[in-house]
Amino acid sequence: MADTPQVPEVNAPSRPQPHEKYPWPAEPTLVGKRIQRVDGPIKVTGQAKYSYDINRPGGLHGRILRSPHPHARIVAIDLSAASKAPGVKAVMAVLQPGAKVMFQGEEVAALAAATEEQADDALRLIKVQYEVLPHIATEALALREGAPQVFKDGNIKAGDTEEAGDLEAGFKAAAHTVLAGYATQVQTHVSLETHGCVCEWDGDKLTSWVSTQAVHGTREQFAKALDIPQANVRVITEYMGGGFGSKFGPDAQGIICAKLAKQAGAAVKLLLDRKDEHLASGNRPSSASKIKAGVSADGMLTAFDAETWGTGGAGAGSGFPLPYIYVFPNRRRKHRDIFTNAGPQRAMRAPGHPQGCFHTEMLMDELADKLRMDPLAFRIKNLPPEAPNAMWRKYFPIAAERFGWSKRHVTGDPTPGPIKRGMGCAANRWGGGGQGTKAHCEINPDGSVVMRCGTQDLGVGTKTIVAIITAETLGIPMELVRAEIGDSNYPFSGGSGGSTTAPGVSPAIRVTSGMALDALKAKVAPGLGVDAATLVASNGRIHVKGDPSKGLAWRDACKQLGMEPLAVDGQWERGLSASGTSGVQFAEVEVDIETGVSKVTRVTCVQDCGLIVDQLTAESQCIGGIIGGVNYALFEDRILDRVTGHMVNPNMEWYRIAGPSDIPTIDITLMNQPERGVIGIGEPPTISTAAAVANAVANAIGARIRSIPITPEKVITALAEREKTGGTL
Amino acid sequence: MDHPKPASPLVSHATCEHLRHKGMYVMSVVDPAEFQFYDKYDATAYWCTKTQKPLGPDGKAAHASACHDGRECCSH
Repeated sequence: MADTPQVPEVNAPSRPQPHEKYPWPAEPTLVGKRIQRVDGPIKVTGQAKYSYDINRPGGLHGRILRSPHPHARIVAIDLSAASKAPGVKAVMAVLQPGAKVMFQGEEVAALAAATEEQADDALRLIKVQYEVLPHIATEALALREGAPQVFKDGNIKAGDTEEAGDLEAGFKAAAHTVLAGYATQVQTHVSLETHGCVCEWDGDKLTSWVSTQAVHGTREQFAKALDIPQANVRVITEYMGGGFGSKFGPDAQGIICAKLAKQAGAAVKLLLDRKDEHLASGNRPSSASKIKAGVSADGMLTAFDAETWGTGGAGAGSGFPLPYIYVFPNRRRKHRDIFTNAGPQRAMRAPGHPQGCFHTEMLMDELADKLRMDPLAFRIKNLPPEAPNAMWRKYFPIAAERFGWSKRHVTGDPTPGPIKRGMGCAANRWGGGGQGTKAHCEINPDGSVVMRCGTQDLGVGTKTIVAIITAETLGIPMELVRAEIGDSNYPFSGGSGGSTTAPGVSPAIRVTSGMALDALKAKVAPGLGVDAATLVASNGRIHVKGDPSKGLAWRDACKQLGMEPLAVDGQWERGLSASGTSGVQFAEVEVDIETGVSKVTRVTCVQDCGLIVDQLTAESQCIGGIIGGVNYALFEDRILDRVTGHMVNPNMEWYRIAGPSDIPTIDITLMNQPERGVIGIGEPPTISTAAAVANAVANAIGARIRSIPITPEKVITALAEREKTGGTL
Repeated sequence: MDHPKPASPLVSHATCEHLRHKGMYVMSVVDPAEFQFYDKYDATAYWCTKTQKPLGPDGKAAHASACHDGRECCSH
């Protein structure tokens, strides 16, 4: 039971004491500017080597045979014909007779062959005899009376009940109540670079080029699963094409790849195809709710009572935060996880938050409609008090002004014609914060600098911020800095998830480069006849503070190192990062009430993330998050056939994502909070887009669609329902 | 250096050594106000290092509440 009120407490680490020795500069020359990615040119010219681009001498191609059944027992596996097929060098059963498969696409057997075609041909020669078992494809089927119990502990796992306040008193105080249900779909990750790796053994040492969000974490899991020392594993991820939370280890395919490579005595490349990716590499679980909520006549939330459920597939949970952000003083929420025979969920960008945001923000609009109150004013009235990690009271008006909220019409666009326009809004929050990263800095006698850190760049610009902070601290151009990341042989850094990379890595780079600079100052100070403590680095010089003429050019200073590079190791320290972000988004849509097609035309985003390290890449995070949110609102949907349990759209044709013409005009205002230090921005901007879009659709057409994706079919159906009842909301 | 022993407030010394979730690899600093903007919830995706899936070798769900002493496939 919750025993704390929904009131923020402002203390560290949401607003830390600044770092004593290496605080962020008050007047930075690089930090916070619009700086393009250091690896942009080699990415757009195709020179960047992703895992798929790694071709080892004599390398083989791996393939996985997956279950066609959503639930079955394996009776027999015959690998003999496949093992004799041309080019085949290794074959293995992943599951043994007697084992059960629990979802379509589960790994059953695998092989490696000299060419992709030989691997594909041989895979068809593996004979698997299945005993097909009853399956559950959807939450509704799992909840049906008499449903087959396909999981050993039952199809339903009841979660805790969270309660606070006095629910009965809350409903007594309500002048209006809303009783409604909302739902969100299963969304697969759709990373442009699929999951997988290349594995190569040298005796008992494994090197793997993996598409992963955690080079060190993946090394640990390879070692654990293969029962070898971590010291014998090296994981490399120089470039990566997205992960969104789904790439935190080698996965089944990684372990299979390593075993095939061992068996074959050759490197094996095993990356998933798009169908595999949809079936088995993770997803955002579905969510559904039945909510009763009350509001007083003066627009204050009084009560919230919800039952929620969702499916994370075979054996995985589906929790999400609810109610989200707004203060319901009296509340109760019961949640159930529904197990289905479907590919299991994994962490996906802001796990749980887009769902919780959608349910709550839809409800907020419905309550505002009951009151005949502007939904924005209603929201602001019910927000927690303002704090560094709770800035919605400030951000909503800023975004409303930029967006033109004053032009919003009441629900149901009265404009003649088939195109109806509407506006909606929603808030988000996320924790972020990071720690634990270590780094190694070398200043070379020629003035070049290497900063090594065992973090990884998911495609968001981590390598760039490493170079920015190093150059900023050393007072040199970024061109002199080589940022080396994405290798488990480099100093430890945590996995890139939960918006923790920038706040975990940035302080480590600041401290390490600051220590390196101090060491260089100590080398050059005697020659200048000054105390090293009086020296600063700026504009490519090391000089006495306040007297740039008394000093040395950077390269001349570095020459004094002689033949020995200067090398220091540093790590993350407190006072340079924090956690807790807030943001708001407004969306404008156009809905064609003849075709039912919705189009998001504009999104306005006001978002904080603490100290902005690179304005450009921070904005890019917002753009990517908002596009993902538009996809969630209008397009993406994993559809399972109720009868066969098969996914009917495991591709990028029928599993729809936005194309260029679907992407709205995006207006981003980043609220810099330098006094808080660095906080991540990976998760927040994707949280509230779908809720804002769904509210905008309701505002446009005067009928509320309470589930996403908002398909043309749902729009037409909602309009028909509204026609039948003869009214608007 | 080796990866620090994967740890998490969600698992204890009694939990199976093969249980994993993302939070064990992400070095986060939790905002003390985290659960003052919403109540507790569990969005954790667990997996087993033996199966690399959210089901253990015995076919039951891999979860902090289930992967501990008394389960046959559990080890420390």
